[in-house]
Amino acid sequence: MVTFSNGYLVDNLADALKIRSEIDVTPYAGGTDLMVDAKEDAVYLFLNKIPELRRIYSDEQYLHIGAACTYTEIFENSLSPQILKDAIDYLAAPAIRNMGTAGGNICNASPKADTALIFYVADAKLRICNTSGERILPIEDFYVGRGKTVLQKDELLVEILVPKQGLEHYYYKKVGARQALAISRVAFAGIFTTENGIITRCAMAFGSVADTVLRFRDLEALFVGKSIAEAKSIRSQFIANYEQAIVPIRGRVSAEYRKSVCMNLLEDFLTQNGI
Amino acid sequence: MNGQIHFTLNGEKVTSDRHANERLLDVLREDFKLTGVKCGCKEGECGACSVLLNGVLANSCMVAMGSIEGSEVVTIEGYSKTKRFQALSDAYAQTSAVQCGFCIPGMVLACEALLAKNPNPTDAEIRKGISGNLCRCTGYNAIVEAVKIAAREGKGLW
Repeated sequence: MVTFSNGYLVDNLADALKIRSEIDVTPYAGGTDLMVDAKEDAVYLFLNKIPELRRIYSDEQYLHIGAACTYTEIFENSLSPQILKDAIDYLAAPAIRNMGTAGGNICNASPKADTALIFYVADAKLRICNTSGERILPIEDFYVGRGKTVLQKDELLVEILVPKQGLEHYYYKKVGARQALAISRVAFAGIFTTENGIITRCAMAFGSVADTVLRFRDLEALFVGKSIAEAKSIRSQFIANYEQAIVPIRGRVSAEYRKSVCMNLLEDFLTQNGI
Repeated sequence: MNGQIHFTLNGEKVTSDRHANERLLDVLREDFKLTGVKCGCKEGECGACSVLLNGVLANSCMVAMGSIEGSEVVTIEGYSKTKRFQALSDAYAQTSAVQCGFCIPGMVLACEALLAKNPNPTDAEIRKGISGNLCRCTGYNAIVEAVKIAAREGKGLW
């Protein structure tokens, strides 16, 4: 461990968690969000040299992505699902993708986080550790609001667990003001799976719309167990439910604009899946 | 006991007494007088402060000093001593790709990072490679041409 003024550099997870348990520090992975609003009195815990946070590996069920893996590392890893690669491909620009991390994107807790949207729709889980153990949370339980998470002062996000199966049939669109370095105005990710003509999964997540990424599992459930034809017959009801559920907030663009983009993307997603 | 920060800068081992939370950009410009590293926005939007950090392109405005302990930093001043730079420089000259020059140090390093990974990039790949580097003289077309010329005439360098 190296102690600097205003920072600690560690090379293993155990030391990092020990510091988290004893000192008030800001975890620093890639710095691309933190340094935009750099505070003079910030004390950073540098996580970028911790091997446990830089691994990508898979077990039977999950792809494990270390929280301090950069976007470029995730993009270039053959194990990463294409839906995640698509989101990274449209995220910022090369220099930011080289430094920014998936864990930072999640913990910064912006509803505009491009990769958090993918983790939402993919049913990803977060492995969070402190010195006494770990807990594993579905990503939607991690957020309590814009910029607010349930991460405790003594904890670190260690890995993102992405299910290996069922992400093949996806839809992803990011609507921004330009191609590179664009903050999403609306981002939409959907996953649609059928088995023997029956819908087994119809997941949809909306980013940049409200204080957190939005996903409505109860509304998704309406299509599950139905054939495409049956789903088609209740399409207008399905859309009306979302029309009611999505309440966008006004930001750089109007709430009305966000809402209509959300609905257009939702309808396009359904249409592309034959509904 | 506050440790110094050690890193390699343009091939030389150096140390810094700066706080770990300070920007690499400011240290490079103020302490090491490497003013080829430009400050445009301090929020990762313009790429004028681009450096190579452990061989990859990074915005030095978004890098805190503590994170670079043991790392290798190359700025345009160091890169300009290489054959690859000469190939890019000649190509930029051929297409008159430089106007005001402010974006050029970062732009050249973005081109280097691109060519190091992909020695024969397509137009689309070049535009993607420099997509984080803004040129307000609107010289992108000339820069894209220059990268193609450098890739062709500097064959074997990358």
